[in-house]
Amino acid sequence: MKEKLEALLKEGSARIEAVGSEAELQEVKVALLGKQGSITDLLKEIPKLDVSLRPEMGKAVNNAKNLLSEMIDGKREALKLKASAIPADFDCTIPGFEPMSGGLHPITQMCYDLNDAFRSMGFEVFGGPEITSEYYAFDNLNFPPNHPARESMDTYWLEGHDSGEANDKLCLRPHLTGDSVRYMQTHKPPYRFVYPGRVYRNETTDARHERAFFQYEALIVDKDFTYTAGKVMIKSILQKVFGRDVPVRMRAGFFPFVEPGFEIDMGCLVCGGKGCSVCKHVGWIEIMPGGTPHPNVLRAAGLDPDEYTGFYVNIGLDRLVMMRYGVDDVRLFHSTDLRFLKQFH
Amino acid sequence: MKLSLNWIKDYVQLPEDMDLTRLAYDLTMSTVEVEGAESLAEQFDKIIVGEIKEVLPHPNADKLRICKVDIGEGEIKDIVCGGSNLEVGMKVVVACPGAMVRWHGEGEPVEIKNAKLRGVASFGMICAAVEVGLADLFPAKDDHEIMDVTAFDAPAGTPLAKALDLDDIILEIDNKSMTNRPDLWGHYGIARELAALYDLPLAKFESFKPETDEKFDVRIIDTDRCPRYIGTRIEGLSVKPSPFEMQSRIWRVGMRPINALVDITNYVMLATGQPTHVFDSNHIIDHIEVRRANEGEKLQLLNDKELSLSTDDLVIADAEGAVALAGVMGGAKDSVLPDTESVILEVANFESRGVRRTALRYDNRTESSSRYEKAVDPERCDQALSLAMKLFAELYPEMKVTAFVDQYPNKLEKKEIDVDFDWLDRRLGKRIPQEIVARKLGAMGFEVSFTDTGMHIVVPTWRSTGDVSIKADIMEEVARMYGYENFEATTITTSFDGAINQLEVDLVRRVKEYLAFRCNMQEIFTYPWMTDEFVHAICESTDGILALATPPAPNEKYIRSTLLPNICKAIVKNERNFDEFDIFEEAQIFLDSDYTSEYKGEKLPAQRKHLGCAFVGSPDNISELFRRAKGVIGTMPVYTHMETFTFEKAEKPYWADETVWLNIMLNGKKIGDLALLSKKAALACGIKVLSAVLVELDMDALVPLKSRTNRFTHVPEFPRNEYDISFLVDSMVKWDDIYNTVMEKKNELVHDVKFVDEYKGKQIPTGKKSVTIRLVIGSNEKTLTGEEIEKVANGVLKRLSKSTGAEIRTV
Repeated sequence: MKEKLEALLKEGSARIEAVGSEAELQEVKVALLGKQGSITDLLKEIPKLDVSLRPEMGKAVNNAKNLLSEMIDGKREALKLKASAIPADFDCTIPGFEPMSGGLHPITQMCYDLNDAFRSMGFEVFGGPEITSEYYAFDNLNFPPNHPARESMDTYWLEGHDSGEANDKLCLRPHLTGDSVRYMQTHKPPYRFVYPGRVYRNETTDARHERAFFQYEALIVDKDFTYTAGKVMIKSILQKVFGRDVPVRMRAGFFPFVEPGFEIDMGCLVCGGKGCSVCKHVGWIEIMPGGTPHPNVLRAAGLDPDEYTGFYVNIGLDRLVMMRYGVDDVRLFHSTDLRFLKQFH
Repeated sequence: MKLSLNWIKDYVQLPEDMDLTRLAYDLTMSTVEVEGAESLAEQFDKIIVGEIKEVLPHPNADKLRICKVDIGEGEIKDIVCGGSNLEVGMKVVVACPGAMVRWHGEGEPVEIKNAKLRGVASFGMICAAVEVGLADLFPAKDDHEIMDVTAFDAPAGTPLAKALDLDDIILEIDNKSMTNRPDLWGHYGIARELAALYDLPLAKFESFKPETDEKFDVRIIDTDRCPRYIGTRIEGLSVKPSPFEMQSRIWRVGMRPINALVDITNYVMLATGQPTHVFDSNHIIDHIEVRRANEGEKLQLLNDKELSLSTDDLVIADAEGAVALAGVMGGAKDSVLPDTESVILEVANFESRGVRRTALRYDNRTESSSRYEKAVDPERCDQALSLAMKLFAELYPEMKVTAFVDQYPNKLEKKEIDVDFDWLDRRLGKRIPQEIVARKLGAMGFEVSFTDTGMHIVVPTWRSTGDVSIKADIMEEVARMYGYENFEATTITTSFDGAINQLEVDLVRRVKEYLAFRCNMQEIFTYPWMTDEFVHAICESTDGILALATPPAPNEKYIRSTLLPNICKAIVKNERNFDEFDIFEEAQIFLDSDYTSEYKGEKLPAQRKHLGCAFVGSPDNISELFRRAKGVIGTMPVYTHMETFTFEKAEKPYWADETVWLNIMLNGKKIGDLALLSKKAALACGIKVLSAVLVELDMDALVPLKSRTNRFTHVPEFPRNEYDISFLVDSMVKWDDIYNTVMEKKNELVHDVKFVDEYKGKQIPTGKKSVTIRLVIGSNEKTLTGEEIEKVANGVLKRLSKSTGAEIRTV
């Protein structure tokens, strides 16, 4: 009987251990401790034993009964804690709540990215007035009077301020470069600053042309600065925007306010320079003009061009943002359409 | 501009094995942007000369023929053709299978395949000139005439490109990249650049010496506008086609051959960049004068445009009147006519800006005017005259020059520049051997003489019309010819004198990031001009609003004095797609006032940086909308670190609702508004469904804090309890009154009072509202008991009932 009890104990604890639900546990409990349970059966056999053995065996069986009962209670607690807080049909694929979805305009985002890059290189951020005199829009920048470049900018002149001397004529600025002179006139050299902002041209609009767009200019002016240092500036910008090293080339270009002037190309990121429809099969994409400030511009800023020189770059932010996201219509930027603007996280 | 590589080779002998890609790249890097380099012969791949051996009728079609055509090496093919001029022995153009042709000269090129035409197999096709893009060189009398190349010395089977000597490369140059280089607007100018780039010799033009002493009478009245005029009378001419080679060159670079006389003038322009013109000398009465037009003077141009001229226009005139618009276009009556036998050849120089103004005035820009307006140098007349006379002599061996004059009253001064080597080295960042500098500059026509410390440079005339005038220009010439890519990028050095600290710049960014990232608002960009209906909806009048002289649209002339009209337009646009949205814009506004400037010699109107916001949502819950807006704006100073502003009712904005409006005040000055857009204004804007609370704030008036100013307070040691009370008050009682009553002379155990909600309606007597507030009660010395808390709350309620008539709400 002793062996039988031991075997029963062993088997019972194994069964309790193996149970996976409360219902099963109940079944095991009945099988062991119920009226017809194996332990109960064993208890019933005790009177049949020799009297001398009865107390010991009775105690042993009762101990076993208590032990199993405790095990069952313990198991029940454990099963309760293990159970899910929610019915098992809960769907884990339902979507999460979206966080707040406000945002900055994609051009502002690009502008801030560039500000961060230039700030880290010790540049100040400057901003000038959007209405400017012809004097600051053209004369200061070495555009000769009646020069075709003045007309090519297709400037928006203000009503009642569209004739007279260069000081009297007012327009929405056609480019940012005039602000560089404003900064230089009101600060002490050497200079290292960026001046992002909106500019306006009286043009016919289409997917690639806008009347209002966003430019980003940077200027360094110092003594004995060589134009080749400008290349470092350009590389830093592109690295920031595209997150990797981008090949850059500077080639001959003409703009009145620089001498020498450059067209700056970056290697086409779509084809990796092999040539594709995006880069018109040349492997390079024109992204910005730049160059050394023309001596007349430095003079307008009150500097001696024999002493000071520097480097300009002028980035069309709209174009860069279009390349960053593959936007194919520049007019979307001013559309105010939230279905468009909400895509730039 | 298109350039023929063969033509360039007339002037500079490029190596036979010159890599075309390299050439295009080098030109792009140093001089002008080469947009394309196309092989002309490639267009004619699989297109050959065939000879018709037999012409047979087509069994199934009256208009078609079956031609037995020799396509070389005695191979005879059947080709079905509908040509009207088919003859045995005729040499024709055969497009073999695989060739690309344009059917009847229309649409995209299609590939030729073996095909059956009305049941008869045809090998390729016999082409009309339009089908192979040669209509300009082989004009057809009617639609069915096929191209006849019998006159060319090419046996059957010869590729067409070879037969017509079309084995050429056409370079396409971006015109924008050479607006500052008048010397480059012809093949000779580009040849000069290539000669300098590759250290090759450049061909020279012989100077022309007239054989006659007879002076042609030319009177230059306006010598500023016409610095030079060469008139040559040539007799013994006739109107006939020019030789095929000349026609072909003119056609290759994008112009149309006309007749020999006109072709010579175009050829000279394309070669030298110097426009020329011919008049029928029988039509020129007495003499030529170059003068300003009389006001209203009439002139009919070659393109039949009738002009009524202005006194700013320069004309070529004879004794009777204007015969040409100087530098732009000849007149219809007096230029080359079908019976012309003698001409006056004009080789002249006209001032650039005048030509440009005239061409723009009549919207009549031409190949000639677009060259003059770049400022051509007067000395180039010599090259043009030399080439023109050479061509006249070749095409008309019988011709005679019977009168000549070269009036050059306004001689161009060559620019002279001194360059210091030390300066040059410093700016270039490296020393380039003097020998290379001199060689490259010399090849481009600069006369260089060395001094002790530098160079004295005489600029050639063709670069002296504004292009090169200072030493920085010389530096550019040296650097680009040496090769921009041969300069290594140098690092930028700096001296550090403190961190960059720009409080205003940083504040703008903080505000925008606060609105976008903390307040769930979307930034928008709008144009500076406003649409009239929105201006009238928002602004009481247009006084003080600036306008554009040439606006983008007639109803968009006003430029913004406030950001709100464009924000309302954005609401209209988005109302279709969204029920609820909050947007903002930061931009400059302009006012017709002030006119001062911190900048030298400039008086500008007032311009300020503004912030505009719209909180848009259902009209059923204006209170919620208002509180959203007030929460965002009211909390802004805390999160963006600026001096706190307050809300006040001082002056209702014109566009605001009668009740729901506030002014934003800073140090006693109004710096903005926050208000519900009135029903009237919303209607005028076309906002149909939603309501909007608008905010406009003068960002330039905000005062950024130098650093963070809020101070730390200890976390309370004993619990703080929130205790809500609801009570009834008169519906006109303001939250400010309730707040002030609780917080003024308050029990020290009361730490704060918060608004929970207010309710009007069912179960609330008319004229009353139920307000629920939340008191924060606690002691710094112990944990309060329920009784103690209630006692404090009752005290608050008592004071409220005394000052605002509050009574506990009994249900």
